[in-house]
Amino acid sequence: MQILFVEDDIALAEALTESLQHEGFVVNHLAKGALAINAVKTELPDIVILDLGLPDIDGTDVLKAIRKVSSDLPVLILTARATIDDKVIGLDLGADDYLAKPFEVDELLARLRVFERRASTSKHAGLTIGEVTIDSVSHQVNVNDSIIDMSRREFMVLKALMENAGRVQTRDSLESKLYSWGEEVSSNTIEVHIHHLRKKLPNGFIQTLRGIGYIIKLT
Amino acid sequence: MRSIRTYLLFSLLAIITLVTFFSVLQGYRASIEKAEQLFDNRLQNLAEIIAISNHDIRPRAEESTAHSSAVFFQIWSQNKILLLRSHNAPTSFLTTTDGIANFKDVNFAGYRWRTYTLHDTQLNRWVVTGERIDIRYTLAENIVTASIIPIVLAIPIAAIIIWWAIGLGLRPLKNLVLQLSNKKADDLTPVVLPHSPQELTQLVTTINDLLRRLNSAFAREQRFSSDAAHELRTPISALKIQIHNLQRSESFDDNELKPLAAGIERMAYVIEQILSLNRHSPDQGNIDKIKIDLYTVIQQNIADQYQQIANKNQKISLTGEPKCLLAANKFALETLVQNLISNASKYTPKNGEIEITVTRDIKSIEMSVEDSGAGISEAEIDRVFERFYRIDGDQHDSGIIGCGLGLAIVKHIVELHNGQIELTRSAQLGGLKVIVNFPNDEK
Repeated sequence: MQILFVEDDIALAEALTESLQHEGFVVNHLAKGALAINAVKTELPDIVILDLGLPDIDGTDVLKAIRKVSSDLPVLILTARATIDDKVIGLDLGADDYLAKPFEVDELLARLRVFERRASTSKHAGLTIGEVTIDSVSHQVNVNDSIIDMSRREFMVLKALMENAGRVQTRDSLESKLYSWGEEVSSNTIEVHIHHLRKKLPNGFIQTLRGIGYIIKLT
Repeated sequence: MRSIRTYLLFSLLAIITLVTFFSVLQGYRASIEKAEQLFDNRLQNLAEIIAISNHDIRPRAEESTAHSSAVFFQIWSQNKILLLRSHNAPTSFLTTTDGIANFKDVNFAGYRWRTYTLHDTQLNRWVVTGERIDIRYTLAENIVTASIIPIVLAIPIAAIIIWWAIGLGLRPLKNLVLQLSNKKADDLTPVVLPHSPQELTQLVTTINDLLRRLNSAFAREQRFSSDAAHELRTPISALKIQIHNLQRSESFDDNELKPLAAGIERMAYVIEQILSLNRHSPDQGNIDKIKIDLYTVIQQNIADQYQQIANKNQKISLTGEPKCLLAANKFALETLVQNLISNASKYTPKNGEIEITVTRDIKSIEMSVEDSGAGISEAEIDRVFERFYRIDGDQHDSGIIGCGLGLAIVKHIVELHNGQIELTRSAQLGGLKVIVNFPNDEK
């Protein structure tokens, strides 16, 4: 995985580059927005980590420029401002995720893993968590090497949960995903799908947080 | 001075009355004098007319039958023999005759009279005319009073006009007061007073100047906290990543790094809390409120900080009313929810339980967070809202990072939204129960 890391604070950049390299990422660090835009134009990275407070160009403008080059390149925004406005601006402009400074390295890594898993499911590769493997091209689910039958919607819910493994998916966020895939969503749609999925998957694979949402924990 | 209007009215009326009184007095005197002169002239003329029209030089048997009780006349010969008199005239010679015409006041028949004595040099006689002084005065007074009464009557009318005129004159001031009192506490826009009179222009300018300075002070403070946030968070992030890298490398003893990591963690936490306390002070100018679904905010917040809860293997649940719309500042509400839930998780041991409930009735929206932790004793409940207060001081359960600002911030935010906060013991889980109550604006 190649990461383009845009951050002007050298101490932070060096430390994080080291952490990311240790996790097996290839990191290309740049301190200026203009350079980052050029880099994206020259060679598309797999993931961009973008600090909003850059010295030359505002981070949001860099994000806009990146989005012109590629609409589906995963971008994670870092910012020290951490007010809701920044968050909304970042996500509205098409950032995929958002992390406020100071953050835990593990939290950042967990989010990068979500990007990775998303990338692997969209690149026809399977995604495996525990005993469960999904293939988003053939819509096939394997549990302990035996094929499990499931409907398209159930598959989509499972895919969303597995891609975001380790992070809670609220019912609202799952609903909006189904909705964006053009599915009809009624008030208890998600509960019904989860109920069916549970019967087909290993015990405790999907955990419920009552009133909040669902999670597949990483083992 | 209770009211400028009343004060001006009464002082102006007093001045007008006083001035009118003196001018009327002066006018009265002058008028009386003039009237007296007029009457004297008339008396003199009368004597002259009598002298011209009557040529008696011997006494007549009959008297004049003229019926005027206010005026009399006598005609005397050179040697003081009464030639003719009006019926009301005395028979004695009342005045002195020193050869020149003169006026003299005399008493007879119970009245005081003004007399004029004319020496008729042609026939060598004396013609005396007299007039009752009290009648003269009554006449003169009538004339003078007739001219004074309108002035006296004008005072109440003047009072009404003055009252109205002062009101008109004070209207810009009233407008200014109205504008200022209608201003919301967080509205720092300048006051605009159309056609403001010269006297108020300075006041309006000063007020606007003050508002502008207050506004820029708020802006500066906000900018400061935003700058401080940026300047502090980035190096803290770097420290956290560096310690993470050190802990992973094998050349360092993890136990030696632990206090350092805890120190950085604590510093990061305190900085966050101070920034957020500063941002959510109730006197912190303007906050934008929008309709927010409290239930979703809680849901999202738990999802965001689930790692912390999962690490302690705590069971968390949310029950109650979905779609609980509340007029609130989104960022403040998120901070409030985040603080309450992270507190609950922090002060609840591993494998504990946290329960969050959202309920709504016509009057209010209530959020409660209960946990199975140790709770807070009655005596401590009031003190936990104080800034930097921590139960048991710094001896607080050493594993937990905190600085004693969490609940102070929560309280600020609750006050910012006109809500109430209450801490009790959870009947269900045995730990702390925090109840936050917001007024329900949804009608």
